[in-house]
Amino acid sequence: MMKAYTYKADTAAEKRIVADDMILTKDIPTTAGSKMLEGYVSLFEAEALTRLKNAGYSLSGKADVGEFAIDLLGETSVRGALSVDGKILNPAAEIVSSGEAMAALTLDVNGSVRRAAAQSGLISVKPTYGTVSRYGTIPAACSGETVSVMAKCPSVCREVLGVIAGHDDKDGTSLPEEKCALVSAAAPIRRVAILTDMAEGADGSVTERIDALSRALEASGVTVEKISSTLISSARAAWNILMSAELCNNVSRYDGVKYGYRSDNFSGLDELYTNSRTEAFGELLKTAILFGSDTLSTENYMKVYDKSLRVRRLISEEFTRMFESFDAVMMPACSSMSYTEEAVKADKYLCFKENFYTAPASITGLPAVVTGGVQLVGRAFSEAALLDLAELSAKEGK
Amino acid sequence: MDRDTLRRLELLNQLSLTEAQKEDVFSFFADRDEDLKALEAIDTENTERMVHVMPIMTVVREDVVSQPFAREDLQRGAPETDEGYWCVPRVVE
Repeated sequence: MMKAYTYKADTAAEKRIVADDMILTKDIPTTAGSKMLEGYVSLFEAEALTRLKNAGYSLSGKADVGEFAIDLLGETSVRGALSVDGKILNPAAEIVSSGEAMAALTLDVNGSVRRAAAQSGLISVKPTYGTVSRYGTIPAACSGETVSVMAKCPSVCREVLGVIAGHDDKDGTSLPEEKCALVSAAAPIRRVAILTDMAEGADGSVTERIDALSRALEASGVTVEKISSTLISSARAAWNILMSAELCNNVSRYDGVKYGYRSDNFSGLDELYTNSRTEAFGELLKTAILFGSDTLSTENYMKVYDKSLRVRRLISEEFTRMFESFDAVMMPACSSMSYTEEAVKADKYLCFKENFYTAPASITGLPAVVTGGVQLVGRAFSEAALLDLAELSAKEGK
Repeated sequence: MDRDTLRRLELLNQLSLTEAQKEDVFSFFADRDEDLKALEAIDTENTERMVHVMPIMTVVREDVVSQPFAREDLQRGAPETDEGYWCVPRVVE
């Protein structure tokens, strides 16, 4: 288990939380899984973590993440992938599964948290964008990333979310308090849609879980229907563009001067910048930077970046239409219930394909709960209702 | 994506790729071409951009002078400092 941690606290406190390495911690290194930030220690900590500490929770340690949390499960960390028998594991999910922490506080940038919860049999909640402060998180894809919670049961997700949600003046995208409070508001869920287009490419292990969750919900009196929308399927393409563009801008601050890694090999300032970034950044991140930069170029800005922003609105409007008839939309969180090191070696850009399933909630800022290996996306501020569904399905599954 | 464009992007982003990495990047961009075609097929003629998924308010607060962090603390993680300055290689000979 030690490999899952980048730092482990010596605590026997009852309410222990593990924070992933995108969450800033005071006096403890935060590296975003990157050589660029090896040894970096923040002078302040994330607002979400402060709120948890003030409410009596203790930090059990820091969980490793993939470089800037854009990969599948954490396999691109500078420390290497956490794996057992060739199967890649997510560090935070392993720590929660082992019982060493009751919940994980994570930054969901590109869906790794949801994939991890699905594949580890955990519950995760990605709250509505703006309801949990992002102050003190390492920025990667700011317009869609959210501080999320992963735990063994829905009630713990609900409890932790209740503590961390709330307006924060220090985060310019933080919503007013009355909006943030809605994440705990109860609402009945009567109808759930299965988005059939989103099951494309998912293997039998995933579709079995969709069937199982459908049956459990139906047994609880929820109506489940299949619907189709090709527009939602285009979220991946648009999100890859927006995420890469934002990432490119956000990591431009790492230059080997003010903090972080500096190359030993340079003769002038340009070489210092270039060699530091080239030696410190991993291949996946470099590719995302170059792609993001290209989408923002004069030639591509309108037809690629601007287009993606317009598609984002169409996808958001499509969800709004769906929520006129349904209370939640069910879709996979990943194509398979495990990823092998071999598969990632064969396709190092797999995370840009697997986010087919997680991009719809990322690009729209809608809440998503993973339960029983399946993802439920709901209306803005419907976290409590989605967690109710998770509890219902857990009861039926027993 | 061609070699000249990739070189320009490398310079712009202060990165230097190996030949093998360049081949991987070309293949990545080729895959993304399919995505771009799919996006192009979506009619966005009368659709506004959606930059923020939630309404953004301008945060207004009193203009109070404060110094939350001391200079020496801010420079603690710097690769090289000297008497309160960050050090970089000489830029003017």
